[in-house]
Amino acid sequence: MARIQLVIFEIDGSEYGIDALTVNGILRAQKYKIQKIPGLPREIEGMINLRGHVNYIFNLRNKFGLTEMTDAEDSKFIMLHINGQVIGCIADEVTDIVHFNEEDLQAAPTLSSSLSVSYVKGIGKVDERMIIILDPVQLLSTAESSDLETPLVKLSDLAIPS
Amino acid sequence: MIQQGSQNTATSYEINLATLKLTDVIDIDFLQKFQDDFAKGVGVASVTVDQDGKPVTNPSMYTRFCIDYTHSTECGDKRCAESHRKGGEEAVRTGKPFVFECHAGLIDFAAPIIIEGKLLGTILGGQVLTSNPDEQKYRRIAGEIGVDADGYVAAAKEVRILSRESIESAANVLFAVATNMSKNAFQHRKLKAVAMVLDDSLHQISATMEELAASAGTVSDNQTNLNSEIGNVSSVTGEINSVMDLIKEIADETRLLGLNAAIEAARAGEAGLGFGVVAQEIRKLSGDSKATVGKIKEFTTIIRNSVDRTVAMGNETALTVEQQAAAIQEITASVEEITSITEQLTALANET
Repeated sequence: MARIQLVIFEIDGSEYGIDALTVNGILRAQKYKIQKIPGLPREIEGMINLRGHVNYIFNLRNKFGLTEMTDAEDSKFIMLHINGQVIGCIADEVTDIVHFNEEDLQAAPTLSSSLSVSYVKGIGKVDERMIIILDPVQLLSTAESSDLETPLVKLSDLAIPS
Repeated sequence: MIQQGSQNTATSYEINLATLKLTDVIDIDFLQKFQDDFAKGVGVASVTVDQDGKPVTNPSMYTRFCIDYTHSTECGDKRCAESHRKGGEEAVRTGKPFVFECHAGLIDFAAPIIIEGKLLGTILGGQVLTSNPDEQKYRRIAGEIGVDADGYVAAAKEVRILSRESIESAANVLFAVATNMSKNAFQHRKLKAVAMVLDDSLHQISATMEELAASAGTVSDNQTNLNSEIGNVSSVTGEINSVMDLIKEIADETRLLGLNAAIEAARAGEAGLGFGVVAQEIRKLSGDSKATVGKIKEFTTIIRNSVDRTVAMGNETALTVEQQAAAIQEITASVEEITSITEQLTALANET
């Protein structure tokens, strides 16, 4: 049995959890300007300049098929280590960091193979809270993310230090 | 205080009926002249006495019969006084002129001067006869009072003879004139007193109005000051709120720092356990700070609402004060009008 720590965040009223070891850091979205890039898939909101490095920012609302957030005052970027890169995703708010036993993880209900989503590891119960635990690699390693691998290196080289 | 003062003044102007004298309501010089002329014209003697029976005029047309004989002895004088007293009392009792025969056999009358039920004096007159004197009767009376009988009879014969109707008419005329003169004079005095009370009251009203106007001005000034003070409170509340925004910002930043520290601690594994506890404490602290900010903001909101209501009420008060001031001005104008009327009234009362 492994005991891990989960970073808990909120999107559209639901709580999501992600392994703290994969998290690089949390940023206040308000402090950064997202540069849009035309032609990229909807899941990618754009890119930011973080201490001289360019990082892609994923919009999970678009990925999950949710409506756009209107009041983004408390929004955070959760920066994740994915395959040697740091990629961010937008959360409405980061609420907590909790300890979690992996055996408390329940598999996500699968009604049919076509409906199952690969990036949901399962449902974690912390007290009375139901937390959707995400697999960061699956979350951001869709078809489009692999396409990004090649240009990313070049973009980070071109980044202008802030 | 003011009211009491005005009451005191009012009483001092009031005519006290108990101490009112005939000389207060009648011009004695005029009465004397009228009485003399009347006596000469009609041929009856007369004199006016006050309520105590003391003469206030000189006797007009007194007969020799009375002055030289009847009044010449102590007994006669006393009988005369007694006779007059009786006649006077009867006149007062009936409130009308009373015609009677005196102790010495002459016809006399008494006419009361009464104002509001109070006897101020009596006009006495007569010393006439209705027919030729009965010699025997006067000789007897001369004996009674101790005067020379022959002379007394001779004097009685000199006494003027008038019909009873004439005497009664003469008495009525004197009564009517004296009573009306007194009444007029009394009414006049009353009018004067009322005018003076009115004048005094109006002065007091004017003074009070001035005080009222001044205090209305003070209230208005105070309200303005109050409003500006409240404005200060309002702006300080705004400043507190902006400071609170800053504190909330710091709390948010601290919380983020705590989260990131916790992530770092998690990544450090066993070595990061202690640091993780510290990171958790930092997050807790930031949460407390944020909650406190929320509470303070609730309070400042309450203050602001209260200030807004106070300002609204203050404005209402200012409006009311303004209306009051306008009303006071109107009253002052009316009082001025009444004052000028009163002045005319006083002038009229003082004329005669």
